[in-house]
Amino acid sequence: MHNSENIIEIKGLYKSFGKLEVLKGVSTEIKKGEVVAVIGASGSGKSTILRCMNLLEAPTFGEVWMQGQLLTPVDPYLHPEVIGLSNTYKRLIAGGLSHAEAIAQIKSEDLLNEKFAVAEGKAYKAKIKEIYKENHIDINLARQKMGMVFQQFNLFNNKTVLDNITLAPLKTGLYGGTKAEAKAVAQKRALELLERIGLAEKADSYPSTLSGGQKQRIAIVRALAMNPDVILFDEPTSALDPEMVGEVLDLMKRLANEGMTMVIVTHEMGFAREVADRIIFVDEGVIAEQGTPAEVFGNPQNPRLKEFLSKVL
Amino acid sequence: MYLITLAEDMGKIFVKYWDMFLIKGLSATILLSLLTVVCGTLLGAIFAVIKISRVKALSWIISAVVEVIRGTPMLLQLYISTFLIPVIVPAMNELENKKLICIALTLILNSAAYVSEIIRSGIEAVDKGQSEAARSLGLTSRTAMLQIVFPQAIKNILPALGNEFITVIKETSLASTFYVGELMTQYHKIVGTTHNPLPILMIIGIIYFVLNFVLSKGLGVFERRMKASA
Repeated sequence: MHNSENIIEIKGLYKSFGKLEVLKGVSTEIKKGEVVAVIGASGSGKSTILRCMNLLEAPTFGEVWMQGQLLTPVDPYLHPEVIGLSNTYKRLIAGGLSHAEAIAQIKSEDLLNEKFAVAEGKAYKAKIKEIYKENHIDINLARQKMGMVFQQFNLFNNKTVLDNITLAPLKTGLYGGTKAEAKAVAQKRALELLERIGLAEKADSYPSTLSGGQKQRIAIVRALAMNPDVILFDEPTSALDPEMVGEVLDLMKRLANEGMTMVIVTHEMGFAREVADRIIFVDEGVIAEQGTPAEVFGNPQNPRLKEFLSKVL
Repeated sequence: MYLITLAEDMGKIFVKYWDMFLIKGLSATILLSLLTVVCGTLLGAIFAVIKISRVKALSWIISAVVEVIRGTPMLLQLYISTFLIPVIVPAMNELENKKLICIALTLILNSAAYVSEIIRSGIEAVDKGQSEAARSLGLTSRTAMLQIVFPQAIKNILPALGNEFITVIKETSLASTFYVGELMTQYHKIVGTTHNPLPILMIIGIIYFVLNFVLSKGLGVFERRMKASA
């Protein structure tokens, strides 16, 4: 049912913060090697989509899958066969509704809401448990293969640049072997990565001594050190001084050219147009339009997208 | 003129009773303060962990205790505890140091209440992005806490903890109401024979000041070193 060619698959994602509904049903797949740029106005929910992908925000409803494995709890609304086992469904069918009508009513009125789920019976709960057991993967394992780069860099202030890069590989046992062996491998790999971005001489510096551009490039390298299958970028250049934006975008371009799967929330339209395979335009918590850069920038359909592009281009 | 007389009296009284000031009084004050700060910090750390871990029932109880302690005068708490604890734990009445134990317990609980807030706010002051970055790399919440959050929180916590130590040293003087032997108790004892309060109070004041001044300067040096180390 789940194509493992898809690195990430999000289905029917809803997210509310208190009464504020930020995401209102977002579904998409990120394919292996794909570079996807997520654009949209501030507050449209684009960062929340990204943060739901690695569960830094837990979605209110919906599921996140990574390479065929489930990261979130099972959302019954996404599985008709699960709804079919619920007592609510049976009651509606007995009341004369068709299968499709019953499921539609349950979904639209949120009748399987956790508050009422107690009454749904054993078969329903067992099915949910079964799906969960078959597919679920521990979030910490999933995150090891899903790097993230933050707007505010978030380098570990209490660690040197080298330790920033080697901490996660060592603590997660990425390299195996004895402690000393793993440490040697991790440091060698970290230095190679630093070499690539021309910052090897900063290995023993603390983050507070670095410029924003240097911090962000090191943050990218820190994610790379885990050999991730995908990297999520949350407005990676928004907190940078203008003269440092280029160096970070250049590094990202290199990664894209090397075939890294990337999801990039960005305001850099020129970069998105040049590097992305697909553009997703998010508006008011839904994907309002998506397509190739040529389609989205050259021939936008959605009026909100047209308005947005007229402001930013 | 009076100041000269005062200085002379201070000199005479100190020469005569120096052991009561320095050996009995100061050591009792330091011991009581150390005991309070060490146990108070441990208990306070436990309180803070419970509050952060969001075990709801426990966290609610801790919050209530902290609020009551912060919202009532310490002297009142000391009075209440010396009456209340022996009622709750009758075995206490057998003990010789009943009062001292009650007072130490009150001081410890009091300190724990303040320390738990110091630790909690110290941890919460660490940028949320730090633990998010750690979690995004697949580290467990435990590793993120131990490797990233705590080491940074310590830098917020230690200076405030030093101030708490100084506050505790001063607060132990309240225990003199119950004659437990610390510096202010020595005042009550000495004034009973000399009937000349001011020189004794001045001497005790100087001792407290020197103690706290040295301590706060020492903490300052420590703090600067810690900052330099990253």
